[in-house]
Amino acid sequence: MRDDPVVIALVARVRDGDQDAWDELVERYAPLVWSICVRYRLSRQDADDVGQSVWLLLIERIGSLREPAALPGWLATTTRRECLRVLRAAQRQDAAGLPPEDQLPAAAMIEDEVIAAERDAALRAAFAELPGGCHQLLSMLVSDPPCSYAAISTTLEVPMGSIGPMRARCLERLRRSPHLAGVLGPPPGEGPARDTAGSRR
Amino acid sequence: MPQDWTDDELLAALAAALDARQAVPAEFVAAGRSAFAWRNIDAELAQLTYDSVRDTELAEATRAEPASIRALTFSSPHLTIELEVTPDSLVGQIVPVQEAAIEVQPRDGAPARVAADEIGCFLIHPVPGAPFRLRCRLASGAEVLTGWITL
Repeated sequence: MRDDPVVIALVARVRDGDQDAWDELVERYAPLVWSICVRYRLSRQDADDVGQSVWLLLIERIGSLREPAALPGWLATTTRRECLRVLRAAQRQDAAGLPPEDQLPAAAMIEDEVIAAERDAALRAAFAELPGGCHQLLSMLVSDPPCSYAAISTTLEVPMGSIGPMRARCLERLRRSPHLAGVLGPPPGEGPARDTAGSRR
Repeated sequence: MPQDWTDDELLAALAAALDARQAVPAEFVAAGRSAFAWRNIDAELAQLTYDSVRDTELAEATRAEPASIRALTFSSPHLTIELEVTPDSLVGQIVPVQEAAIEVQPRDGAPARVAADEIGCFLIHPVPGAPFRLRCRLASGAEVLTGWITL
């Protein structure tokens, strides 16, 4: 994985005591921590417990992280360890206990989650920087259920016929965003299929 | 390369990325933000070095007797904190024995204070339910902070 300059810069700012940089870091990686909790099928309360521990450990150790670029991997590994801790604690109180080993997510899952989280964060960062019109159009196109072209035409006050070309132009801007350089990898059709279980609906 | 992604693939990936963010509860993110307050704690950290439950798990699993009293030990280079969990309170002792101010710090909310007496003993009542950590202020001015404890 490339050394993401965004992450390195955020870590440096947090070390200097910048709360905004910390908030940005949490925003960026909360989905990673959350998705691993979902993989371990934690209850909401246990997931909150894990989340708090992970962020507290990070703020405690951020000064001594040797490789800021390795932060996503560190977060994923720490989250997994905390998930196991919480599951073991639950096991002590409940005879049902820990699910059998083969039902727990494999350690290799961590790597997949980190790659997906980096791609997702880059896509969201690129999306956030699109001009207002593109931002609005793409939001409507990805909404669930998707908006009809008629609805988009009314909301954005553009003729139906120009929505298609506008969509292509906006996606091209997204594609060319520096955030996505080196992050997207091969298209889904060529590479191994992305596992959409867990956090995705 | 991003250039190879078709419009539909890119749009689907964007939808998944936005969904992944949407799936995270707001309070989960807020709790992460508030962790910033714990930055730069100027205390020596005491790590969990012994937990009777963890260290005797296998032996206990084969027995039907009720579990004995749980004991935990936290160690830092200069201080050891021993804890025993009784049904209604938490009994502790610091070693080397000395008087100290002990703070029970929950993740959110105000800390509770108890004193360790001249033989280093202290009592926390009732047993804290939520994760907490102990902060010991010694007469020398040194401070020792345990890792997070969930009982």
